[in-house]
Amino acid sequence: MKLHPILAALRKHKAGTVLIALQIALTLAIVCNAVFIIGQRIERVNRPTGLDESNLFLISQQWVGAPSADTPDGVEKLDAMQREDLAALRQLPDVVSVAPINSIPLLNSSWTGSVSLKPGAQLGGKGNTRTAYYFTDEQALSTLGLRLVAGRAFTAGDVQHQGFRDQRERPIAIITRQLADKLFPQGSAVGKVMYTDGSSAPTTVVGVVERLQIPASGSWGNEFVWNSTLIPTRLDANFARYAVRTKPGRLDAAMRAVAPVLYKVNPLRVLDDDSVKPFDEIRAKAYRADRGMAVLMGVVCLILLCVTAAGIVGLTSFWVGQRHRQIGVRRALGARKADILHYFQIENLLIAGAGVVIGVLLAVGLNLWLMTHYEMSRIPLPYVLTGVLAMLAMGQAAVFVPARRASNVPPVEATRAA
Amino acid sequence: MLKMTHLSKVYRTEVVETYALRDFNIDVKEGEFVAVTGPSGSGKTTFLTIAGLLETFSGGEYHLDGIEVSNLNDNARSKIRNEKIGFIFQAFNLIPDLNVFDNIEVPLRYRGMKAAERKQRIMDSLERVGLASRAKHYPAELSGGQQQRVAIARALAGSPRLLLADEPTGNLDTQMARGVMELLEDIHREGATIVMVTHDPELAARAQRNVHIIDGQVVDLSEDPRFHTVHVAEEAHG
Repeated sequence: MKLHPILAALRKHKAGTVLIALQIALTLAIVCNAVFIIGQRIERVNRPTGLDESNLFLISQQWVGAPSADTPDGVEKLDAMQREDLAALRQLPDVVSVAPINSIPLLNSSWTGSVSLKPGAQLGGKGNTRTAYYFTDEQALSTLGLRLVAGRAFTAGDVQHQGFRDQRERPIAIITRQLADKLFPQGSAVGKVMYTDGSSAPTTVVGVVERLQIPASGSWGNEFVWNSTLIPTRLDANFARYAVRTKPGRLDAAMRAVAPVLYKVNPLRVLDDDSVKPFDEIRAKAYRADRGMAVLMGVVCLILLCVTAAGIVGLTSFWVGQRHRQIGVRRALGARKADILHYFQIENLLIAGAGVVIGVLLAVGLNLWLMTHYEMSRIPLPYVLTGVLAMLAMGQAAVFVPARRASNVPPVEATRAA
Repeated sequence: MLKMTHLSKVYRTEVVETYALRDFNIDVKEGEFVAVTGPSGSGKTTFLTIAGLLETFSGGEYHLDGIEVSNLNDNARSKIRNEKIGFIFQAFNLIPDLNVFDNIEVPLRYRGMKAAERKQRIMDSLERVGLASRAKHYPAELSGGQQQRVAIARALAGSPRLLLADEPTGNLDTQMARGVMELLEDIHREGATIVMVTHDPELAARAQRNVHIIDGQVVDLSEDPRFHTVHVAEEAHG
């Protein structure tokens, strides 16, 4: 390698060399961490909820002048209204199944609590595991498309109903595999007993589903994102939500049919276009901020890379202009065009190499700082290595045009007056 | 060693053709020390740049060390420049970012020579020009005469078949010029072929043979009517 003379020349141009190396270092540090954050966001946005998300929509509606859920009589009337709706919806030709449900993954409307293996455990105390509850009925698994991996689904006989604010014993539940593994690491959870929300009444696990994300999409739910508990109970209030599974390809038709059918059952309700949402719309809304952040960071990275590339092009062009005669002398002394091209490429590789070494340290430092002050994971080595290779490649790409211009300086330049 | 036959060099623009060299003939034998003289714009430097393969020519033939060079590609021309020709420029053309040692090493690196051999040659050539103690100095730390000696050492280090010198003393004072000229004479006595372009008749007189160029052609001064006119006029005034 002809490094020595290149290093000797760089020592004579310290300011430009150091500035570009630092620019490369900063770009690497920022871009590595930004790309890592983008990667995390993309991973978050793309993680499966556990639902069969196609052909699934949610109805959120509110009755007008409905009875109060605070009295037993009102609860019974509200439950009857809900059952009428369910019966009507289940009759629709494009509908496969319908389940009443208090929320759905990514809806950001959660009912969270804690489960424990001990009765009467204090909420938030040691040994409690956070969970999100889905109050639903016997059609929940088929409607949501959940995969049962152990035990059984709910039957119609399991389903109770209660007022929205009432406390009631929860004799059985279906939980997610992740929650089951946490509560019962030894053996199957099916048939085991747990206690919900500090209750002394036992809840027997009758089934385990593969996966079911909690409704919260924000980072606050990260620590229990897969800890869901299904309770076979219809909640009665002056509003209700229904999850609807349609026949394949009949989603739009089924959604259009909802309003006429429900108005026919009971016209005293608020049901507009926003009340009936396909699941993909719920997903899109839940992750809008993540996608926005990813796009913003991507644009910032792109701008940074462009600025750094422009800096390299600018500095190399300046040096080519400054060394025009020197290049002619080298050509006169026997340098081939390729030698001149390689000279500038190796020179750039050395500067970029120094830059990426500093950049790796800065990237790790920045990552540690973000880990300390924000919810950030440790940046994986492949991200840093990819960043290093990308910066080196960008440097080579940026230097190519001015380096080629340099290689085209004719040897006769050596004889021109300075 | 260097033979140009009916060689021409034309610079063309959209409206005009300018002949820098026209029907140019020269034959420099191995071991000769030839001074090329002529007025400004006569084509001396064009001759030197073509002789040194720094430029291409428009017509005619040019044989360098037995090789017809007109059809060589850029890489082949670079190789010949590197291996067969040593350049000494008026402005020294040392690379300011490199020290003396590294400057002399430049052409040797392009030849792909091993480090040990490079070092040996560099130190030998520096000894030859009397600057062995200045190997780590940068050009800016040397006088003009010393810089030209370094340039000569760089030209010699590659053991070229032909030394081309373009006004080698043009940027030096009289004393330094004398030193450089004595060095070139020593090198010639050791067997080198030297072609030197110069304005200076005193320097030209120290060469073995003088070639005069006027209007892009080699002329015999004794037969050139323009030369005679000048002499007749001088005699009339005298």
